Amino acid sequence: MTVDIALENLYYAYPPPMQGSEAIPVLQGINLEIGRGESVALLGRVGAGKTTLCMTLNGLVPQATGGIFRGNVRVLGLNTKEHPVADLAQHVGLVFQDPESQLVQMRVEDEVAFGPENLGVPAAEIEERVTWALEAVGLAAYRDRSPLLLSGGEKQRLAIAAMLAMRPRVLVLDEPTASLDPVGKAAVFRVLQELRRRQDITIFMATQEIERITRFADRVLVLHQGQIVLDGPPASILAQVPKLEELGIGAPQIMELAHLLSQRSKHRYHFTGDAQAFKELRRRARKARLHKAHGGLPPAVPPPALRPNPFADRSQVTVENVSFAYADGTPALRNVSLILHPGDFVALLGPNGAGKTTLVRHLNGLLRPASGRVLVERQDTRTTGVAELAHLVGYVFQNPDHQIFAPTVEEEIAFGLRVQQLPATIVSRRVNEVLERFGLQPYAGTPPALLGFAQRRQVALGAIIAMHPNVLILDEPTGGLDWRSRQELLALLSSLNALGHTVVLVTHDMRLVAEHARRAVVLVDGRLLFDGDTRELFRQREVLAQAQLALPPVTRLANRLSAEGLPPDVLTCAEFADAWLARLRKGARRANMRSHGRTSGSGAAVAAGKPAHKGKTGRGGNKGQGENGR
Amino acid sequence: MGADFDLYVRRNTWLHHLDPRVKLLFVVETSLLLFVWPTIWAALAAILLCSAAFRLAQIPRRSVTAIYRTMLPLATLVFALSALFGTAGDGNPVWLQAGPLVISPGSVLQGALLALRLLALALIIFVWLFTTDQASMVRGFHALRLPYDWALTLALALRYLPIFAGLFSQVRDAQQARGLDLEQRGLLQRLRAYRPVLVAMIINALRQSERLGWALEARALGAGGITRSVFRPLHLRRADYILLTVLVVGLVISVTLRLI
Repeated sequence: MTVDIALENLYYAYPPPMQGSEAIPVLQGINLEIGRGESVALLGRVGAGKTTLCMTLNGLVPQATGGIFRGNVRVLGLNTKEHPVADLAQHVGLVFQDPESQLVQMRVEDEVAFGPENLGVPAAEIEERVTWALEAVGLAAYRDRSPLLLSGGEKQRLAIAAMLAMRPRVLVLDEPTASLDPVGKAAVFRVLQELRRRQDITIFMATQEIERITRFADRVLVLHQGQIVLDGPPASILAQVPKLEELGIGAPQIMELAHLLSQRSKHRYHFTGDAQAFKELRRRARKARLHKAHGGLPPAVPPPALRPNPFADRSQVTVENVSFAYADGTPALRNVSLILHPGDFVALLGPNGAGKTTLVRHLNGLLRPASGRVLVERQDTRTTGVAELAHLVGYVFQNPDHQIFAPTVEEEIAFGLRVQQLPATIVSRRVNEVLERFGLQPYAGTPPALLGFAQRRQVALGAIIAMHPNVLILDEPTGGLDWRSRQELLALLSSLNALGHTVVLVTHDMRLVAEHARRAVVLVDGRLLFDGDTRELFRQREVLAQAQLALPPVTRLANRLSAEGLPPDVLTCAEFADAWLARLRKGARRANMRSHGRTSGSGAAVAAGKPAHKGKTGRGGNKGQGENGR
Repeated sequence: MGADFDLYVRRNTWLHHLDPRVKLLFVVETSLLLFVWPTIWAALAAILLCSAAFRLAQIPRRSVTAIYRTMLPLATLVFALSALFGTAGDGNPVWLQAGPLVISPGSVLQGALLALRLLALALIIFVWLFTTDQASMVRGFHALRLPYDWALTLALALRYLPIFAGLFSQVRDAQQARGLDLEQRGLLQRLRAYRPVLVAMIINALRQSERLGWALEARALGAGGITRSVFRPLHLRRADYILLTVLVVGLVISVTLRLI
């Protein structure tokens, strides 16, 4: 095997952020060899050092960043300490996380030509390379466009093409899909799979996309506190569910399911992918059918994991026939009606450009309806200022950096409270509460801009939560978070929700929706397509297809196994396990089961243009029926 | 966010395909001629010429009226000032005189000339802005031997303008959503209220420019011992040569006529 990348005993610490503070160690003794043509996925929590490791591979660390660097990094035999970044660039391509800060030209083809131009490639060959690279990423038809007008996924594919055009032997990608929607993610992964298939380029990618990497990587590395703690083929690494959870990165849902099933029965389940899991379970289900059934029917359906909302009859936010168009005349919302009840936990879903962000911006008055009205606790947003609504409706933006400005973390959190002119004692009490809740006390006096991404995000969220808003809106809150941070965030949201705060999540994360949201609202093309119980949504194939929503892996698996008697609307691993074990026990009496648990809920699809709240309330439908009496 | 700061109107006409250097020459020459011939007729001719160019380049009427709307207050002001405070000159008729106010046919004519010339200049520049995309502008400047670093800096500035504008509105919204009241009355108060927005903007801009520097290095900018090559160097085509000839002949004729 030819070794393309070799790291020997690599230690690295960033220079101290402020005078007098200490250097921050990031990489702590890494030894690694990567062979030609390998596709490697690097997993690890936010702050584990993934970005730093990627940047050592083309010499940006330490050449551009400074700091303390020990050990050696050799790429194609070139020591990165001895060769300038610009010279290494023809051998190592580096794609960054943020699409905005790596595209530098004003036309797609100029963008791709930029690298070869810098390398002095003759014009005729540049033309060839541009054509080839754009074809490789599926952007051949976009040559003449402005990169600014591309979608996130297209921008990242363009960034990859820009690197490919320099014909590097090694392609390094630092979380290239972290800020993309599912459609964009899928497109980028398709490009990477194709590159992997050709095997003439070594790919090293830092990522959080644990669900997607089985189909991409030959080898998985886990970076934890600056060291490589796991290294091996995806199937064996990803099956180590407890270990992965301990490391804070979690496992693919299908592996989690295998682990759970093994725990709850005598059989050892071992899944390597969706297709194999399906075959294995179908085989076992058919075998079970041959046995005679033991005794009576087991509980046929699991109880719903989420309790119904006790305040479902009151309204907190009312959206009445709201329409809105942007300045250029493009309609963004068309006659949307929606009622949020105190204590709701709502997921707002839909493809990009469906109007999700436009809708939530109406809920706190940032946008005002062109027609119709929005009432927040009986105040009309057309006549109430955004600042006045801020203590009723908290809005956590996708990018924490858009709201961080104060000289210290403490002042950042206190800002909203001071604006409200609350007494100093209350301000300091609430600030301390938040600092404690998020474990930010050690950083109270630190400038928030110097913290890592995960902590900046905590500060941004804490600053909103300190204001105790009745309604909490989060725009894509889990993008770029690792498994542990995601779990912690959701635990926090659930606890706030249990205290009666309304939570609205704009999200693409269907697993999050399945596990946490009681109610789902789907927008497509500015219209309200569905409003109702989450479980009901999972049964509406047409709505899901129109809104480009993909079911979580266990739901898909249960769907495929519905011929074997599994309910098609399983939401979580635990529900799947219950249904599966019940199915195995029941054996031959499968036919009974299939007719059970299918009573349809009332949260049906809303006809376009029809006010939704009339047809709504799927709460307690189907599986929740047993709960209604409580 | 979008390319709000890009005035370019994407159309497929021969005016759009002209070499940016030739179009730049058109701008410079026509502006010069306006001063060589300081008459209302020359200004009107330039306005007509530009209107014809807009028609040929299929520029939407909306964009054209936008220029007139922007220029109207300024042109009116210029006209009023020179018409009211102009000098009639000795022996010329005066329509009205009151203290420093002198309204005469001469001053009115002078005012009209200045206003029309201002309008013509704006239209001439917009012919270039509407039909030349930013990439060709930069290529043009580079081909005119402007150092590459300057051309790249200009390109980056143009490219990041809409991004920063988008960033500004994002940051402003985020701060407002936290209760920051930006809808205040006094100018000073409002400026003070915008401070957090600006601080967050600057932090973001710094972060982004650091990453931009890395990205440029990762794209081999400044690789040692290499002369940069140029993808799609500019070549003059037939239409370019024709227009170039027209421009040169026009310049020679008008200057000669003027000198005689």
